[in-house]
Amino acid sequence: MSTYHLGLSYELLKKEKIIMFSGKKKSTPSVSSDMMKKQKRYEALVKALHADVYRYALWLIKDKAIAEDVVQETFLRAWKSLDSLKDEAAAKSWLITILRRENARRFERKQFDLVDIDDVSVADPNDINNVALEHRELRNIMSGLSEEYREPLMLQVIMGFTGDEIAQQLGLNKNTVMTRLFRARNQIKDALKGNEDIGATVNG
Amino acid sequence: MDELTFRRTIYADPNTQDADVIAAAKADPSKQAFWNEVKALDNQIFAAAQVKVPENLADKLLLKQSFEERHEERNKRPWYIAMAASVAVAAFLTFNVMQPITGNALAKDVFAHVDEAYMEKEMMMSNGKVDLDQVNSKMATFNGSVNGDLGEVVSANYCYLDKIKSLHLIIKGENGLINMFVMPEDLTESLQETFNSATMFGTSFLLESAKIIIVGEDGEEVKTVKESAQQTLRFSA
Repeated sequence: MSTYHLGLSYELLKKEKIIMFSGKKKSTPSVSSDMMKKQKRYEALVKALHADVYRYALWLIKDKAIAEDVVQETFLRAWKSLDSLKDEAAAKSWLITILRRENARRFERKQFDLVDIDDVSVADPNDINNVALEHRELRNIMSGLSEEYREPLMLQVIMGFTGDEIAQQLGLNKNTVMTRLFRARNQIKDALKGNEDIGATVNG
Repeated sequence: MDELTFRRTIYADPNTQDADVIAAAKADPSKQAFWNEVKALDNQIFAAAQVKVPENLADKLLLKQSFEERHEERNKRPWYIAMAASVAVAAFLTFNVMQPITGNALAKDVFAHVDEAYMEKEMMMSNGKVDLDQVNSKMATFNGSVNGDLGEVVSANYCYLDKIKSLHLIIKGENGLINMFVMPEDLTESLQETFNSATMFGTSFLLESAKIIIVGEDGEEVKTVKESAQQTLRFSA
């Protein structure tokens, strides 16, 4: 992965913004190309990662509208501090860190929102569950996992994070993370099996 | 490697590269079978995790960033512009207190609705693009219709101006955004033909059964939009 620095001074950045967004045509081509670089970089980031970041947000939050809001806030913050992302390879972790912070902020802002999210499991059945039938059962089970299991699992499955990366994101040690991942899959397996048994009884 | 450790490792990471796990699976077909089973389950979990992403999410993210950029720029104007603006506002207020104009409540509401942050919110709601049919279906509330080219409408939403339901259109002009409000004529307070704030020009006029208010930063463009409104908008009683 390439590492590059934008190296824009604050003054240049200010000038550049005037050129780009007030529509006045002053010509300073070199500055303009730096700004274009930032814009291109941001666009690449949005295109490459918005889908996975949104999916992760939806699994974490379980509400489409809130998930979308949090994703918007996340990318807005990402844009503002894009210069601090020196290595594109770290972009995923960087975005997820911002997203988790934005999500936490949501609870700080609205104290009355502070209900146990696991108590409202599948608050809107259409959010996660309006899907092809074959996935519905599995999605139900996954969304029913408690957050401490669901979150590391989604970081692994959707974002492709390693045990170490998940540990760093969640501020846990790696052994704890591996145990939670093990339990998450174990619970899914048990639930699937449980459903089969119930199905057999009903059918029988 | 004992059975339990093997299973725990596989369950924690079905794609593990752990050498002990690989060796254990090679040595014992039943362990390999278990591993395959967990991998299959994990493929299903992966597929189930792929929830549908809103179609225009990427566009929205890019759009929102460009709004934000403009907003930041406004906040970073040098102090003397802020000072000049304050003086202008103070002058405007003084003028208003000394010579109260009729339709003040209405004008106040109009200016509140053309606040930049407010307009951005409205445009986000319309996804930044509104076609003629959508505009016309909202116009119908006021027995009106658009017959011809009104310009590029980027937002059309109902608003309450001085407690009266109105239609707020945002039109993309050459030098910025122009706001057009459509209100029923019989309910509205009178408003001066031209009015302005420190930064905005406004004009109001009657068109058959409707009152039209146009507000923008560029006085000339407000005039242009007024002329095109007079040509393209029709209202019946």
